[in-house]
Amino acid sequence: MLENYLPILIFLLVGAGLGGVLLLLGFLLGRGGKDAQKLSPYECGFEAFEDSRMKFDVRYYLVAILFIIFDLEIAFLFPWAVALDGLGMFGFLTMAVFLLLLVVGFIYEWKKGALEWD
Amino acid sequence: MEILFYVFATVLVGAAIGVITARNPVHSVLYLVLAFFNSAVLWLLLEAEFLAIVLVLVYVGAVMVLFLFVVMMLDVNVESVKSGFTRYAPVGVLVMVIIAVELAQVIWVRHMGLRGVGELTPMPADYNNTRELGLLLYTEYFYAFELAAVILLVAIVAAISLTMRRRPGLKAQDIARQVGVRREDRVKLVKMDAEERQ
Repeated sequence: MLENYLPILIFLLVGAGLGGVLLLLGFLLGRGGKDAQKLSPYECGFEAFEDSRMKFDVRYYLVAILFIIFDLEIAFLFPWAVALDGLGMFGFLTMAVFLLLLVVGFIYEWKKGALEWD
Repeated sequence: MEILFYVFATVLVGAAIGVITARNPVHSVLYLVLAFFNSAVLWLLLEAEFLAIVLVLVYVGAVMVLFLFVVMMLDVNVESVKSGFTRYAPVGVLVMVIIAVELAQVIWVRHMGLRGVGELTPMPADYNNTRELGLLLYTEYFYAFELAAVILLVAIVAAISLTMRRRPGLKAQDIARQVGVRREDRVKLVKMDAEERQ
C-alpha cells in the first residue's frame, strides 16, 4: 500500500530541496545590510501605531469553533462515502441519524443568530 | 522504510522540542504544525492512511488555525507566560514520568512486548484502509458513532452559549425596512393658514 505514497515522498524531497536551495542562494548572492530602517515594521509609510497584540471580537473564535465542528463532521462523512456500497440500509440510517443530530445543532445556531454579523 | 521512520521521528521530536522552547508563541504553533505533519507521516508508515489524512485535515486545517488565531490575537504578555516555567516544571516532570512508564508497559510488559503483536504485514496496493474503517464504524460501532454526533451537538450549543454576545446599542442596517419605507412614514404635510407678514 505504501508504494502509492511514493510520489508524495518525492514531492516532499523536491519541495524541501528547492526551498533549501532558494534560501541558500538568497543568503549567498544577496547583498546583506540589515540596518534598523530595513528591519523596522512598515505600515503604509507611517510609524507603527500600536502593538499588534490587541483584543479581538470574541465572535471570530465562535466562527472558528463552529468551523472545526463541521470539519469533524466532514471527517466522519469520508469513510461513509467510500464504504457506502458495502454498508446497506443500516449504515445509511446510521449516517442519517448522525446528520439529523448535527442539523439540529445547525438550526439552533442559525436561529440563535450565531451566523449573523451585526 | 526503517530509515524513513527514523527521519520523520527525529523531525517530530525536534519540532516538539521547538514547541516548548520557541520564544515567540506563533513560532510554537508553527512547530506544532510541523509535529502534526510528521506524526501523520508516521501513521502513514503504519498504513493507517485515513487517520493520517484526518490528522492533517482536522488538526492542521482547523485546530491549528484556531490556535494561531488565539495566539496572534490574544493580548498576552510573553514574559508573564514564560515566568511560570519553573513553578510548573515539577508537575510537567511528573506527567512525563507517568507517560514514560505507561509507554514502557505497553512496549515491554503486556503480551510479552511488541514481539507479541508481530510484524506488520504490508498490504497490497489496492487495499483501502478508509473503506475497511467505514465498514466497521457505521455498522458494528454505530452507537459510539451516534455518541460522537451528540458530543458535537453539545459542542455547538456550548460554543454558542459561551461566546455569543449581543452588543447593545449597535447601529445596523435593515435593508428590508429601508426599501419598504414609504413617503407617508417620513414626510408629514401640515395644512395651516398663512400668517401675516411681520
